[in-house]
Amino acid sequence: MTSVPAFVSYEFADRKELCLRLGARSFRRVMLVPPLFDEMNRMRKMLVDVMRLLEPLKVGSFLPDLPGTNESLTALEQVTLSDWQNAIKACAEQHGISHIASFRGGAMAVTRMTAENHWIFSPIKGATILRTMMRTRVAADRESGLNTSLADLTGQAEVAPIELAGNILGSQLFMQLNAADIPDMPNQRMVRLESDGKPSDIHIPGSALWLRAEPDDDLTMSSAIARDIAEWIGT
Amino acid sequence: MHNKVELTPEAAVRAVMRDILGLSEEQVAEFTAETELFGALPELDSMAVAGLLTELEDRLDIMIEDDEVDGELFETFGNLVAFAEMKVTE
Repeated sequence: MTSVPAFVSYEFADRKELCLRLGARSFRRVMLVPPLFDEMNRMRKMLVDVMRLLEPLKVGSFLPDLPGTNESLTALEQVTLSDWQNAIKACAEQHGISHIASFRGGAMAVTRMTAENHWIFSPIKGATILRTMMRTRVAADRESGLNTSLADLTGQAEVAPIELAGNILGSQLFMQLNAADIPDMPNQRMVRLESDGKPSDIHIPGSALWLRAEPDDDLTMSSAIARDIAEWIGT
Repeated sequence: MHNKVELTPEAAVRAVMRDILGLSEEQVAEFTAETELFGALPELDSMAVAGLLTELEDRLDIMIEDDEVDGELFETFGNLVAFAEMKVTE
């Protein structure tokens, strides 16, 4: 019988945040740290497919909500990158997880977990995410007859919360993301798409779903990810 | 670690267009210099254009300034490839 994903919770900053979970208690465990902002929405179906595909490989998986995202009751405006890093660490500790698979911008949320094993998929710098979001804002402003630049927006964001592509980011989150580089963890496996020329431990087939105009799935990619994660965790 | 593989600007633009539009390799291989983009492809809205620019910067290791981006750039596939080729030689 195939089970269905169910919500469990983890505690962070005196609140409960939700975490989607699949797999028997006796299974090996992996946490999937989702991408950030819009990329999370575009890739969530693919990530849940990975969870379903990990189950027959006897790997249990956890997909936490980062505070301020998804079903979280915390306002995104109040959240910092340090909160995300501490929340992910708390979730891993509370659910006994030592293998962490992070996707895209989610990789910036795992940097405080130096003792754990990391599987990192196509990571990006915070400044890159912000640049895309600011470009969307510049285009929207232009349609309303306003001439804003990336430099103007950066200046504004450093002193007050800013709305970018439908998200309200506090100054601290903006500045922390702007300074956050791609993590380099002691135990890491770097995973990239075949179409990506950058160095990696493995290139997998699939498409850059984070670029897609609408959320989509890619079963070839989810299967390749699930297989590689299961082999990486070992028995 | 596998070594870094250099992509030609045209291959990078083709790969990014394929990912944005969710096309097959065969479909995107049919794009020519005259293929119309912005206005002709509903998926290519301003959010997709923002993602496209950042992704090209990342894949080709270039920086694109605000004032270099205008409507003409996204008129055709050929314009976009020519721009990418110009940026990598800068």
